[in-house]
Amino acid sequence: MTTPEKNGFPGKGLIKGLGITLKTMVSRAGTQQYPDVEPELPARSRGVIGLMESNCTVCMLCARECPDWCIYIDSHKETVEVPGAARARQRNVLDRFDIDFSLCMYCGICIEVCPFDALFWAPDFAYAEGDIRNLLHDRGRLGEHMAGVPAPPPHDPNGEPSKEESTAAKKGGAR
Amino acid sequence: MATAREMTVGVGAGAEQLDTTEMVLNIGPQHPSTHGVLRLKLKLDGERVTACEPVVGYMHRGAEKLFEVRDYRQILMLANRHDWLSAFCSELGVALAVERLMGIEVPERATWLRTALAELNRVLNHLMFLGSYPLEIGAITPVFYAFRERETLQAVFEEVAGGRMHFMFNRIGGLKEEVPAGWTTRARQAIGEVRRRMPDLDNLIRRNEIFLARTRGVGVLSAEQAAAYGVSGPVARASGLDFDLRRDEPYLAYGELDVPIVTRTAGDCHARFECLLDQVYVSLDLAERCLSHVDTLTGPVNTRLPKVVKAPEGHTYAWTENPLGINGYYLVSRGEKTPWRLKLRTASYANVQALSTLLVGCLVPDLVAILGSMFFVVGDIDK
Repeated sequence: MTTPEKNGFPGKGLIKGLGITLKTMVSRAGTQQYPDVEPELPARSRGVIGLMESNCTVCMLCARECPDWCIYIDSHKETVEVPGAARARQRNVLDRFDIDFSLCMYCGICIEVCPFDALFWAPDFAYAEGDIRNLLHDRGRLGEHMAGVPAPPPHDPNGEPSKEESTAAKKGGAR
Repeated sequence: MATAREMTVGVGAGAEQLDTTEMVLNIGPQHPSTHGVLRLKLKLDGERVTACEPVVGYMHRGAEKLFEVRDYRQILMLANRHDWLSAFCSELGVALAVERLMGIEVPERATWLRTALAELNRVLNHLMFLGSYPLEIGAITPVFYAFRERETLQAVFEEVAGGRMHFMFNRIGGLKEEVPAGWTTRARQAIGEVRRRMPDLDNLIRRNEIFLARTRGVGVLSAEQAAAYGVSGPVARASGLDFDLRRDEPYLAYGELDVPIVTRTAGDCHARFECLLDQVYVSLDLAERCLSHVDTLTGPVNTRLPKVVKAPEGHTYAWTENPLGINGYYLVSRGEKTPWRLKLRTASYANVQALSTLLVGCLVPDLVAILGSMFFVVGDIDK
């Protein structure tokens, strides 16, 4: 079954291999000292989802659009008296906003559908747990993740600017 | 004894006492060489395989049925998971099918970016097998070199899509968002770096004597057999079946690109491996050309969609040249926001079927070499 190479001498492969190993040995190692040095992750990195509670209007779009329904939202209605207004207004108040990261598929659909920009990706990834139940992050924990949310990277000048940039430009022009 | 007794060792019966009984051996579903839960039911006569039956379905997740109860955006998320090594190409196929049914014209910039990313995804997929296949037959070193290159390219993907495996960057009508400023340059740099370092991997393994001894002439699949089983992709091209959708039925921007097709005629394990290795160089070139072209294009990368995406009533079949072979998507819509049926034709499923003839007559030690050279992802078989 073995067909010897025509232009090879015995042990050629071994010598070649050792040569490459030697080359790698004397070149700089690319090791990242992970637990001591945090990795530099790009801004779009999908690590964990942060919740900005003040932006949430309990519209439930995220919970409905989630492919595996890992977002749990409870709320109640409150009546707010606005001075000067004829009638009291109804307002949704968030009671519970949980994301079960043991179910989450990290697709980012919830963040995309959120019409009020209440959800954000943060690159933090170090939240492994010994107990699967602890992967259910409540709104307090999700709010803490907001601290790690980076500024979005600027778009390629050849492409279109981001939706936020163009609306900001429009608003600036109107003023 | 007065008379010399003749005995036959191997197939068939000898004397009653010397008859070798056939043994049924199960490889898998949990076996290190099957990288996943593929089970092979082998009939062995001594060391020789007399029959092989691949038993699939241990990782069946009902993807096709799930597609029927998910809207088109959620389907992309599911579609990039059955073949976890070619996520971008898999979601692309679904997007192409839906776009065709809805009559959406994808912006040119998005098309070229998609082509570039699809080719980079192909490199990622191939590098995985270029590392894991030598590992399976005993060469431990190449995997480290393969993963070094993978890491470089994954950083490119992570910067643009945020994911390292499940990119979720396609959308119906284009891409999720514009690429970050300077990304195309950095991606080209990464491609250059990978191309510069590829000879390391290449020199380590391609002409290694031990590797040649294990793979050359082993597990020969003829072009007829490949065609009969519906084998496609690099596995079929290694048998001389010169068929590549990127050239033969171009989608995306492949029509405007000159796509060189890597083929071999030997059809053995080594030919399959070489097809993959040479395809990496070709794909790197293609991706670089696409990225250079992207820089000359301006405009949006996605189209405005209605609030609820509904494909009109009808059906369409889109097929793409995925890294592992041809993936087909038969989409039947009844005008609702979910498909009525979305049939997946996956490359791995067809490729693995050929094992039932390919393994017959081979020895058990060659089995792992042949199995690894069929380049499949179990998730892609079982869906």
